[in-house]
Amino acid sequence: MSRTGADSGLPPRHLQAVALVALAAASVGIDPSWLLGALTLALLVLAALKLLEARDRGGRRLVALLQLLVCGLQAAQLPDLLPSLVQLLAVVLSLAGLVQLEGGVTAPWQELLRQSLQVLAAALPMALVLFLLVPRLEPLSAMPARAAGQALTGLSADLDPGSIASLAEDDSPAARVAFADDRPPAPQQRYWRVLVHERFDGRRWQRDEAGETFDAGEMADAPGSAALQPDPEAGSADTAGRTQVWLAEPSRFTAVPWDGRSGSADPRLQLLPEGELRLRRPPIERRSYRLRPAAMPLNWQRQPPGPGTLTLPAGSNPRLQALGRSWGQLAEPAERIAAARAWFESSGFRYDRRPGALPRRDGLDQFLFQSRVGFCGHYASAFSALMRAAGVPSRTVSGYLGGRWVVPLGGASYLELRQSDAHAWSEVWLADQGWLRIDPSDWVAAPAEQGAPAALLAGSDQGLGRWTWLQRQWWGLDMAWSRWWLGFDRSRQQALLAWLLGARRGALGLVILAGLALGLIAALLPWQLWRSRQQGDRVSRDLAELLLLLRRLGLQPLPAETVEAFCRRAAAARPDLAPSLERLSRSHGLRRYGRPAGQDRRAQAAEWRRTLLLLKQARPGAIRQGRTSGP
Amino acid sequence: MRCAEASSGGFGWPGRFGPVQRGERLRLGLGNLLILPTGFGLLWLGGSLLLQLVGIQTQRNGPLLLSYLMLSLQVLALLLTHFNLLGLELRCARSEPGFAGEPLTYPLLLSSRHPRHAVHVRLAGQPVDTAAPAPLRLAAGTSSVELGWRCRQRGLHTPGVLLIQSSAPLGLFVCWCRWAPAAAQAVVPARQRGPVALAQPPRPALGRRPLDADRDGSEHWHDLRPHRPEEGQARVAWKALARGRGKLSKVFRDRAGEKPLLTLAAGVEPEQALRHLAAEIWQRSHRGEAYGLVLPHQQVPLGQGRRHRQRCLLALATAPGAALGTARGS
Repeated sequence: MSRTGADSGLPPRHLQAVALVALAAASVGIDPSWLLGALTLALLVLAALKLLEARDRGGRRLVALLQLLVCGLQAAQLPDLLPSLVQLLAVVLSLAGLVQLEGGVTAPWQELLRQSLQVLAAALPMALVLFLLVPRLEPLSAMPARAAGQALTGLSADLDPGSIASLAEDDSPAARVAFADDRPPAPQQRYWRVLVHERFDGRRWQRDEAGETFDAGEMADAPGSAALQPDPEAGSADTAGRTQVWLAEPSRFTAVPWDGRSGSADPRLQLLPEGELRLRRPPIERRSYRLRPAAMPLNWQRQPPGPGTLTLPAGSNPRLQALGRSWGQLAEPAERIAAARAWFESSGFRYDRRPGALPRRDGLDQFLFQSRVGFCGHYASAFSALMRAAGVPSRTVSGYLGGRWVVPLGGASYLELRQSDAHAWSEVWLADQGWLRIDPSDWVAAPAEQGAPAALLAGSDQGLGRWTWLQRQWWGLDMAWSRWWLGFDRSRQQALLAWLLGARRGALGLVILAGLALGLIAALLPWQLWRSRQQGDRVSRDLAELLLLLRRLGLQPLPAETVEAFCRRAAAARPDLAPSLERLSRSHGLRRYGRPAGQDRRAQAAEWRRTLLLLKQARPGAIRQGRTSGP
Repeated sequence: MRCAEASSGGFGWPGRFGPVQRGERLRLGLGNLLILPTGFGLLWLGGSLLLQLVGIQTQRNGPLLLSYLMLSLQVLALLLTHFNLLGLELRCARSEPGFAGEPLTYPLLLSSRHPRHAVHVRLAGQPVDTAAPAPLRLAAGTSSVELGWRCRQRGLHTPGVLLIQSSAPLGLFVCWCRWAPAAAQAVVPARQRGPVALAQPPRPALGRRPLDADRDGSEHWHDLRPHRPEEGQARVAWKALARGRGKLSKVFRDRAGEKPLLTLAAGVEPEQALRHLAAEIWQRSHRGEAYGLVLPHQQVPLGQGRRHRQRCLLALATAPGAALGTARGS
């Protein structure tokens, strides 16, 4: 393709090309099957093609605009610290590209970046005023999402421990949670529920997956679902008493980990009746959400059990059912639970991550009465089935247990959950207490080489690799960023406005206008100061002052007359000023052409000021004033 | 007289709107500067609204902040673009004569207290090769600018309407002013080889020195003589003084009678005859010959050098058409 004359005056494309490369690198985490992701990638490709094709200033401007749009769309999908930094870099480069286009000259890239940062810094105060104070709107409609995707890392929809011969050691990150007071939660509080499995077919525990393929509005219409509500009066020493900021890794489930007790004002979070907390985001996206203390037990804890929570398939696991029925003779459900605990503790069960597969038929019978070796899923599954046989409504819950408390060098402390922290436990319904968490894995012995599940509660940094250490430091910064950046949502904005305005919300418009005016002043004041500094160096300003003084005396320099010649002429015209003028002329020559440094420069500047003062005092007006004011 | 009409050629749409300021000096201020968003500025606004929508839909801070940032940049650009021209002073400088149909340069002086970025100064209705597409980066102080233009007619002409425009720093707004500088530039008839008549110089009366033998404008050095105080410093032969030959004055003398006086050729259409004279003067000047010019409205005595040539060309440029017609008739 030949270059036409139209682009001959345009600056090179390098700067805009670098911005595109940065945006392309940041697009790695974008899901192209989501509408927003596809739009982002399409605009990125369009910007690249336009950059190749553009032959005039308008085309190159369009490239810069497309780059900014891609930045914004990426920010909507990738709000984490690293992508945000790349997006900021791309914004600076895009603006530098625009500045370069308008300048029409090949300025050094440092100068262009400096100008770009100056413009950005000047606009930032106004942007922050708008960002903080303009009331945010509710989403106009639900965003179309991609279809249910492939399973990523994380929990399984069905709890089927019998089919697992050995647990894979998956140490990939699952979630991180930071607390408002930077203190770790008590070990007994580190059960983080995600999925609730209520349907049991004799082998597998299944969950209700309605709403996982989140089409428009489905979540809000899910029966019994409700938004979490915060309770500002709440507060206690446990996790429910502290604000939490969660960052959950991508998962195919909309259900996210939580402690089961907190609330939230985030309208995107929906609580299902069985106690699953769901957040609609694309499966490829990392989810972030804030939870707040709730004083009262949440509804799901008091939600009466449905008939399905007592269902056991007829004919499956007959020995299990017989054992359960024998406990059913006990009057109180609590006694049945205690009997089960005593039975597990006395029957020689052993915790093992590689128990081997169980037969498809009556697998739990084999586990309970023959092998007696298993991991958390086996115990949760068997205990819940036993409770149903004993007439106690029950279900299994999968989520995470424990976590590692990380105190990075910089950023926020956080609890780190990995996939290896995945855990399963049971929930039973007691009429007076509601749904009660029972972890039967606690009742069994663990081999020393594998560690008991309870051992996961305490974090240890021993044996950490350098890479893991670095990763945790970065996550600390990431956590701090998320707590600050993702934490400012509609509810926080409402709180800010309430704090600022109280009941005078009608004055919000005026406050915004005043803020904008202040922002504009903050932007233009440094700019004007910078411009005034550009008017010349100190020597030139001093000379201008002298010329102004002489002009008031009726002495004007001639065209092409040197300072020295002008001073000689002025001295001839005004012999009374001759000594001062001679000194000023000599001083100017020394300062301008001698280029003194350091102390010499300061001394000569002082000499100039003293002489100029003498000249001012020698003016007729000054002399007359002296005479009239004297005795 | 204006040679280039105030058309919008080469200006884009800003060149069509706004009053045209007149005079030899123009200070750009609130009263004469206009500012409007560019097409790119409107696209920018649309882009920021799109990001606002995405931010609302996704409830994410990133697109919301970027959207507000783009809006703030737009407000800021409105002021910065305006400030880039506000206070700039333009003056007409002394122009040199040029030939009709050939590239002319029209000088301007731009004075500013502050540095200014990317200021476009262009003349309307000029071909692309004489336009000045490169934006000016003005330092604090006075800068000179030479605008290229063409004019097909001889005479004293102004270059027409000038557009002073800037869209720096981001190209979101365009700020402009239209100005018709009043200082005229002499446009000499186009050079065209052809017949030129020679007029006899007037014979000097007996006892008198030849007319204007050593008048100002004659640049032919003739002799040295002892310096007289009333002759001033301009004629002192400094080189001779430096060599210790004393203070001497240079004597200049036109070699009247030795070279011809050029005049309009008979039987040639007057404007064409002027073009012939322009070519002849140019050639003789380049050969270093002396020549004079006799026109119906003006006579330029014999002489040579650049200043003499300028006088002759200016006489050709300003020759009134009516006088030429009369002379030809007689």
